[in-house]
Amino acid sequence: MAKKIITRRDFLRAAAVTPLAGAIGCCCTGTAAVAPKPVAGSGQGVATLQSVSRASRVVLVRDENAVTAGRTFNAEVIQKMLDDAVMALFGEKSPAAAWKKIVKPEDTVGIKTNAWRQLPTGKEVEDAIKKRVLEAGVPAEKVAVADRGVLNNPIFQNATVLINARPARVHYWSGLGSCVKNYIQFVPKPSEYHNDACADLATIWNLPLVKDKTKLNIQVMLTPLFHNIGPSGFNEKYLWPYNGLIVGQDVVAVDTMAYRVIQAKRKQFFNEDQALETSAHHIALADTRHKLGTSDPGKIDLIKLGWTGEILI
Amino acid sequence: MKWGIKPVLVLLLTVLTGRFSVMGAAQDAVDSRLKSFLPSDVRGWRAEPEDAVYDRETIFEYIDGAGEVYRAYNFRRLLSRRFVRDGRPDLVADLFDMGASYDAFGVFSNDLEGEEAGLGQGSTYNGGLLAFWKDRYFVSLSADRETEETKAALFSLGRSIAASIEQEGPKPPLLTRLPPEFAEAKAVRYLHNHIILNRHFFVSHDDILGLGRADGAVLSKPGKKGERGVLLLVEYPTAKTASDAYADFLKIYMPDAKEPGSVQTEDKTWTATTLRGKLLAVVFHAPSEAAAKDVLSRIKSGVT
Repeated sequence: MAKKIITRRDFLRAAAVTPLAGAIGCCCTGTAAVAPKPVAGSGQGVATLQSVSRASRVVLVRDENAVTAGRTFNAEVIQKMLDDAVMALFGEKSPAAAWKKIVKPEDTVGIKTNAWRQLPTGKEVEDAIKKRVLEAGVPAEKVAVADRGVLNNPIFQNATVLINARPARVHYWSGLGSCVKNYIQFVPKPSEYHNDACADLATIWNLPLVKDKTKLNIQVMLTPLFHNIGPSGFNEKYLWPYNGLIVGQDVVAVDTMAYRVIQAKRKQFFNEDQALETSAHHIALADTRHKLGTSDPGKIDLIKLGWTGEILI
Repeated sequence: MKWGIKPVLVLLLTVLTGRFSVMGAAQDAVDSRLKSFLPSDVRGWRAEPEDAVYDRETIFEYIDGAGEVYRAYNFRRLLSRRFVRDGRPDLVADLFDMGASYDAFGVFSNDLEGEEAGLGQGSTYNGGLLAFWKDRYFVSLSADRETEETKAALFSLGRSIAASIEQEGPKPPLLTRLPPEFAEAKAVRYLHNHIILNRHFFVSHDDILGLGRADGAVLSKPGKKGERGVLLLVEYPTAKTASDAYADFLKIYMPDAKEPGSVQTEDKTWTATTLRGKLLAVVFHAPSEAAAKDVLSRIKSGVT
């Protein structure tokens, strides 16, 4: 059967039927209209656990004290946010119990971070993860935190568990600096995955070095970057203190929710639905073409914890 | 005459060594030339001792996947110099040798957001990023954090580099064929592939216009969102390549056209296309069929 060629006409056709579905360059599949709506929890602007379903569960946890002046991260607050997120994710009452479902003492653990100079994952986030991995009984010599160089790092080469943490930002070539994309350092020649705005990045997740090893994905939404100019450009005015983490085991679901926050922020900032300059369709294709996870917001079980101010989704 | 294996290997080694040393010398000359454009200090900021140099393969170590933008414009070499000053944000000068002025203009035309900075042959300043092109060079100057002081330093740096690049280079001739309302500087992008095209105006995830086989293309989108129509001109190396691309576009993009080359799309606007020798033109988003055809009729003649 001939491959279906998607053109602008397909988006125009979709927009003519359902305006929301036709956003050219959108990342997500399925039914935007049935995506979970933000529901405030019981009191004081605090959202609470709202679902116990495990299918593509994603936790959005926020604390307005996570980021302080000068883009300084509050380590203590971030540790608590991560703990709350993993407890909700696994339905456990303590961080220790939750982390037992992520790592075992005999594991070798690679924490894949992101070292982009202007907006790195952040030492506070890396330390929060590492602390719980060590407390779960994994020896320090079997834990590594790295970005570039993972291919030659013995811990990553022998890892039995990977934890994937990166900051959310718009990306000139892939639309969104996604958790899916964060594994590009696991290939020797990244340019082989850059075609069609990195459409097939998800194939990296099938490589032996990483396949089925990722137990936790964390989109760091503490100060996401919602707009940028130029391939290497960076401007602090397009960062904002969202004070959140998006945590889940389904990497596509995590990225889908991060994308929705970024899009909502762009709409708020630009006063209109402004598509990303480069389509982030690699996220939807990670689902529809590569079956890596779920990109239909209607099928993602989103749990919101903590601060709800300016939550956007 | 029968040659032994040893002399052949020696000869091969000699040729290869010579070839690599010639290539290495050429590379050194390029790097030296790039270095010669950059000052060692600017307004109290001093250059770090070591510059970084990147080529088409190593650029990803510096700018991640976005390095593809420069590769899409046949980028040859990048020299990056960092300037430091106590208690102040760092400044970074990235100087790209694009090989040809068409491509220096092309990569510059990718990001036209910002105020005109009056440097080189075209420039913008936007929130801590100063970019311009001149001759075969594209220059990107940035500060880790924008302050009045860093802005002044970036402009000083830009003026110094622009003055060091002695000559100017021509823009792609394809630009001269645009009708006047599509020729405004802030609306025009020059490109070589469909991924860059899609960044500015999504047509298809596939290369249905055969841009990969074209000599170059110009996209013009006047107005904020192309509400005044969007014009794409693609120039191919032969009339046959152009004709094949035209046939593909008709078949894939407008199979429902009542007459070949013109269709009303689902948003009630019109898309029309025409072929002129080696040139393929498409106007999208025109308010009426007559308006679309009028634009196509006013595309200027050129030597194709």
